Amino acid sequence: MSAGSIAVRGRNLEGGLKGPLLWSFVLHSLLFGSLGVSTILSHRGDLWGGPGGGGAVSLKLVGGLTGVPLPQPESVTTNRVVDESKGLYKSEPKPKPKEPPPDAKQIPKFTKEKQPYYVTRPSKTLEDPTPPPQNAVPYGQGGSPAVPYSQFGMGANGATNAGMQFGGQGGGDFGGRFPWYVDAVRNRVSSNWLQSTVDPSLRWAPRAVVTFDILRNGAIANAQILQSSGNASVDSSAMRAIQGSNPVNPLPNEYSGNKVSVEFWFDFRR
Amino acid sequence: MESKDGYKDGARMRISRLAIWRAAPGLMLFACALYVLVAPAAAQDWFRTGTGLGVSKPKVAVADFVSRNDASAAMAALFSDVVRNDLDYSGIVDLASKSFYPTQVPSVPMELNYQAWSDPPASAQFLAFGNLTVTDTSEEIQAWFNDVKNPTAPPVVGRVYHGDSNEEQTRRYAHQFADEIIARLSGGLPGVAATQIAFVSTRSGNKEIWAMDYDGANQHEITSLHSIALTPRWSPDADRIAFTCYPTAGSILSAQICVYSAVSSRLLNWPRYRGTNSSPAWSPDGTKVMFMSSMLGNPELFIAEADGSRPRRLTHSTGADTSAAWNPKTGQQVAFVSDRGGTPQLYTMDADGSEVQKVELPDMGYVIDPAWSPNGQLLAFSWRRPNGNYDLYVMDIATHALVELTRDAGRNERPSWAPDGRHMVFESTRTGTRQIWSMLADGSAVRPLTSAGQNESPNWSPK
Repeated sequence: MSAGSIAVRGRNLEGGLKGPLLWSFVLHSLLFGSLGVSTILSHRGDLWGGPGGGGAVSLKLVGGLTGVPLPQPESVTTNRVVDESKGLYKSEPKPKPKEPPPDAKQIPKFTKEKQPYYVTRPSKTLEDPTPPPQNAVPYGQGGSPAVPYSQFGMGANGATNAGMQFGGQGGGDFGGRFPWYVDAVRNRVSSNWLQSTVDPSLRWAPRAVVTFDILRNGAIANAQILQSSGNASVDSSAMRAIQGSNPVNPLPNEYSGNKVSVEFWFDFRR
Repeated sequence: MESKDGYKDGARMRISRLAIWRAAPGLMLFACALYVLVAPAAAQDWFRTGTGLGVSKPKVAVADFVSRNDASAAMAALFSDVVRNDLDYSGIVDLASKSFYPTQVPSVPMELNYQAWSDPPASAQFLAFGNLTVTDTSEEIQAWFNDVKNPTAPPVVGRVYHGDSNEEQTRRYAHQFADEIIARLSGGLPGVAATQIAFVSTRSGNKEIWAMDYDGANQHEITSLHSIALTPRWSPDADRIAFTCYPTAGSILSAQICVYSAVSSRLLNWPRYRGTNSSPAWSPDGTKVMFMSSMLGNPELFIAEADGSRPRRLTHSTGADTSAAWNPKTGQQVAFVSDRGGTPQLYTMDADGSEVQKVELPDMGYVIDPAWSPNGQLLAFSWRRPNGNYDLYVMDIATHALVELTRDAGRNERPSWAPDGRHMVFESTRTGTRQIWSMLADGSAVRPLTSAGQNESPNWSPK
């Protein structure tokens, strides 16, 4: 009796499991289905950040007004770790000397090997046997310095001003004594450099270098292009920036000389 | 390239040794000449610098000026505050926060601890400091501006001011000192701390011409005509102010041009013409005045000598032409407002009336109040676009690129450039009443200058 009742109960259980499982499957699939449908429905046409969509804010940044002599905001350049440009002297690491062959001897071959049809010999290289000078740029490390330019701010780094001016022989130490003056000239010329007058199709140009003299009273004389950027519109915009800054401030009272020569470079990029 | 084989060099040396003995006198002379030529060149200083990656603003600290006696304490505080404010508003430096200053304050260069100011937290590159001594009648101010990152460098500015001891004089000296600093740091562009702004105010009951310092201090009435005075314009030498006045002739009020002399503090003689005459504009050399006049019927632009004689008609159109502004750089080009096309729009022409061109803008609306920047490259104006209020815009005249300077802040009209090209003054209704505001020419650092009454139509003095 008891066993029969168990069997009945078990059969009842078995029969009862199928139904709930089916129900659970149907309900789960309904749940996931509705989840999917609601997701699709609720996000239809709502492209986040797209035009007309909510939540998107269009921001237009005005970097600065060219022509207004306010300092332009500093732009950040990426640090170039790798520099592909080659140095002047070839000083590649020499190939490792061949390791001596192991002791084991090859089994001598008795058949005579065929001579190759063409005999190629290494061509004679006409290399300069003189060793490179002490200060030679090592191979692969030439080119412009692979550091952010902002490091080179005049005066900001104290008395050293790495890379910006050369003291000593013939150069004097004008930049070291009057870094504020160098900064002032740079600010003035920068604010007068109208990059909008450069050929609009140009995105980048090599450095243009202009030299000029600043006379005692601040007048600019002898402006000329030392190194062209290769693009006439960049060169003329650089020359116009110099001419538009004339005159700059008079030379510092403490400076005894009559004039200072300036080498000014222009790096154009949009 | 060095020569490869040694024996050739040796031979050459033997030959040259013989030659040297023979040519010794000539060579000596040549060497002397070379020395004379090269020696000055070796003393020639030079530096290298460049641009392309923006410019950082130098960080400047202004130490509290030390008062040498009890009487000078208030003046010292005023002096340091004005210098600080001037430098802050110059737009070319970053002012170090006062709470980061070292406690030790120098009064003379001997006491200056360079390290304390150049190290964090002050992190200043330059420091302004000095001292004041006030006696019963006079005051003496010693002021320095030093590069604290380069202790060996001589002071950038060192000045002693000596004069009457009153607030106005102290302010003037502070402005002079700040201007000197700004001129040095900006590469020769003078500061504007000593300039003035003329404007129209109703404070005394009528619309009269007033003037104030560039920072809003020292506001004072210039004219008292007890009628209406409008559109003041400084002459290029800042000696005279031309404006539109309404002198009473019997019972008829007619607009005329009046010229006030700031030197002799009185009105100058200027002829009266038929009809309405208004909105004068000085030529950059100060010898001519352009104004709107309806002396021949239709409101047109006329040009006359600075004393008002020999008026000549410049424009010929069916609409009204007014609000002329000369290009201060060239003096060859004039921008003006005309409604010949139906609505007030901006036009340019040559100073002799030829080459009239419409300034094309990318939208409709009213365009009024043109103002040239001192370098002649930018044109500021007020523009009411179809869906908006009057807002200030700046246009690069060469490329016609536009920058909007104000938005969602009342009506903004009548821009006027400061002589340094970095600042602008304008009228705005953003606080509910019409007041004078100034800002940097890129639209930043907006600050109110007036608050009492209704104030409008500002004009920045050219020096």
